[in-house]
Amino acid sequence: MTNAAAVARKRVPIFLVAVFALATPVQAQKSGGSITVGQELEIAGFDPLKVGVYDTSTFTAAAAIFDTLTTLNDKGEAAPKLALSWTHSDDYKSWTFKLREGVKFHDGTPFNAQAFKENFDRQKDPANKCRCAFYITNVKEVLAPDEHTVIFNLTDPSVNWPAVITIQSSNNVIHSPTAWKTKGDDYNRNPVGTGPYILKSWTAGDRMVLEKNPNYWDKGRPYLDRIILKPLPDAQSRFASLQSGEADIIWDDENDADNIMKAQKDSKLTVHTYKGSGAQVYAFNTKVPPFDDVRVRQALVMAIDRPKMSQAISNGLSRPASNPYGDGSWVKCKDDGALPFDVEKAKALIKEYGKPVEFKMLVTATPRGRMIGQVLQQFWKRAGANMEIEQVDQATIPTRAFTRQFQLTPWRIVDLADPDPQMYANFRSGSPLALAGFSDPELDRLLDHARVTADITQRTEDYCAISRLINKEAIWFWTFQNTYYALSSARLKGFPKIYNGVIDVSTTWLE
Amino acid sequence: MLNFVVRRLLAMLPVLLAVSLLTFLIASLLPGDLALVILGDQATPENVAALRRDMGLDQPLWWRYLSWLGHVLQGDLGRSFRTGQTVLQAVAERIPVSLQLMLMAEFIGLLIGVPVAIACAARAGGAFDRFMTGSAFAMLSMPSFLTAILLIYLFAVELRWLPATGYVPFTEAPLANLRFFVLPALTLALAEWPGIMRVLRSDMIATLQEDYIALAKAKGLKPSRILFVHALKPSSLTLVTVTGINIGRLLGGTLIVESIFALPGIGRLLVGAIYTRDLVILQGVVLLVACGFVIVNFIVDMLYAVLDPRIRHGHA
Repeated sequence: MTNAAAVARKRVPIFLVAVFALATPVQAQKSGGSITVGQELEIAGFDPLKVGVYDTSTFTAAAAIFDTLTTLNDKGEAAPKLALSWTHSDDYKSWTFKLREGVKFHDGTPFNAQAFKENFDRQKDPANKCRCAFYITNVKEVLAPDEHTVIFNLTDPSVNWPAVITIQSSNNVIHSPTAWKTKGDDYNRNPVGTGPYILKSWTAGDRMVLEKNPNYWDKGRPYLDRIILKPLPDAQSRFASLQSGEADIIWDDENDADNIMKAQKDSKLTVHTYKGSGAQVYAFNTKVPPFDDVRVRQALVMAIDRPKMSQAISNGLSRPASNPYGDGSWVKCKDDGALPFDVEKAKALIKEYGKPVEFKMLVTATPRGRMIGQVLQQFWKRAGANMEIEQVDQATIPTRAFTRQFQLTPWRIVDLADPDPQMYANFRSGSPLALAGFSDPELDRLLDHARVTADITQRTEDYCAISRLINKEAIWFWTFQNTYYALSSARLKGFPKIYNGVIDVSTTWLE
Repeated sequence: MLNFVVRRLLAMLPVLLAVSLLTFLIASLLPGDLALVILGDQATPENVAALRRDMGLDQPLWWRYLSWLGHVLQGDLGRSFRTGQTVLQAVAERIPVSLQLMLMAEFIGLLIGVPVAIACAARAGGAFDRFMTGSAFAMLSMPSFLTAILLIYLFAVELRWLPATGYVPFTEAPLANLRFFVLPALTLALAEWPGIMRVLRSDMIATLQEDYIALAKAKGLKPSRILFVHALKPSSLTLVTVTGINIGRLLGGTLIVESIFALPGIGRLLVGAIYTRDLVILQGVVLLVACGFVIVNFIVDMLYAVLDPRIRHGHA
């Protein structure tokens, strides 16, 4: 008996989604037409070995050119895409996916378990030195026991794995093995997937033209004949392009609050907002003074007036966060243990500490980074603490954080379908990402329990208890929840939720 | 003349060498380890060390410079680790856009600057002269990103005459191509013409006081003939320099203007390379641009010599 078959026998089915349930359309979809998408960044390419990790602009293109095994439905649950159904082992360390049959890549190569496995093995191979490999270290191996079955063997349990792999990231989208083998270095700019659109042309720095895949497996889709992706790096002119009709949908964020508010008042435009999970967060280094004392940490957290800060940095668009999960998460806490805003209490705590509170905080060397630093500096000054702003390059922050060369550093919990991967990495004792250097047996117990429990109510309780513990110890704090924006012409319909900040236009149509 | 050209060409060599050294140092001294940039922040120290060895980053600086220079002299400026494109490929794709932008900007700048300068010089100190000199000063103090946004707002959003962003190659659709270039070129030109105007104006005022102009006037020549035929050529010496230097300055302007108007030129390539820490592209582009600047200066010197024979004989 093969190893795979042995594993398969132990499996318990959770969902056997036999039919691809089509949501009843609210409006009739129209076929034809073309749209232009205004993006923030220029796309460097699609080959994981070259670009490593996709950025927000590449996600948009990847969502059109490639497919993933699973996708998120409107409720934020995993739904079938190239995989039709899945089962897991008792310990959630092995997941088996049954693949859709008869799917072909744009170059005619059949999509099957072997193709998927080759995609995975290529990223994992140490000889390829892929930057993308870090994000799949928790996958021990991928097996392809038959043409339409893929098995993931994980190093740690993951109860929500099908949801975790839905993002159109460089790890999850599936490339044609024939294409990367024949094109070599050129593959990066000539991607081939199974997705609803085929790359037709790409002028460096200017436009990428994607055309409808006539043989797409999801019959009747896509609706638009053509999608043109254009990098429009300047926020002002990007918005002007939308207003003048040169772009049909543009990427935007809270930095550009004025234009978002202008668009809200314009009947010809639609503001698409998605209140994601995750938050903008900050980590104290609890191994160094003054943050080795919980009173100092609590005082600083209690001195932050989030609504005022939101007003200062984004005209009030930023939504205050009191836990790391955010409104978009399925984790809803009655009590997340958030410390109240209380300057008097903060002053008292610092007085009780007895020594001067002086420290440096890392911020990104951007206007926004500087502004956040200055606002926090003012709050903390009122409570009697002196913070010195240390501006560093965006790329320096992770390096400094991983080597623990900081007292206080900004960080981010991104919008993921499940809190486990990030919470476990950020707070489990001994994890390289546990930036606070804080270790607590109860916290570890809760994190371990949450990742092997299938019951959502139980997991919610675990994560809320985790939040209470972190808030009480104030090892990290959260300022604002993640919110994602896209502004479009009101004629553009069928735009889905902006999961993980991905502007996915592959399901849209023009009215 | 040949002697002069050869002397100037030889003088360029140390300059180019210095340029290459500086470019190399800029990229090498930027904070951040190239190996770490390529592998990502989560790379293990062993991986980083191995890649550093592969790329020769563990070698001393002088050794790395010489080996880089060796490759550059053979026409190999390296390959972007992000896109897999060579520097030369990337630059070749982008340079037509920037050249067109700079030439159009310089042309529009001259189109505004030269007639205004002549008109001002003809009646120096008059109302028109005072008004234009004041306006020139105001335009000079206006940052180009602000000009760009104002022009976009007026011509693209309000009037809808011209596109706010975008590009098509000239070979594909010449008219559409020109439409896309009007606003960006105008943005740069609005910062260009004051300099052109001020230089030419003061030179012309000086020329108009020369004896031979008085003679021409005494002969009863038409004022327009005196201005355009007798005064313009001798007054345009400084203008040639300014135009030459402007081309270098314009390259700086393209960084902002190409980003705002989403033109896929060298400026955008450079900004993107800085943003993504693509040091190979950064190094290569800066080197090519600096060499371009040196060459433009050489051409200016040559033009000088043509315009004023005293220069090539070493009298001036």
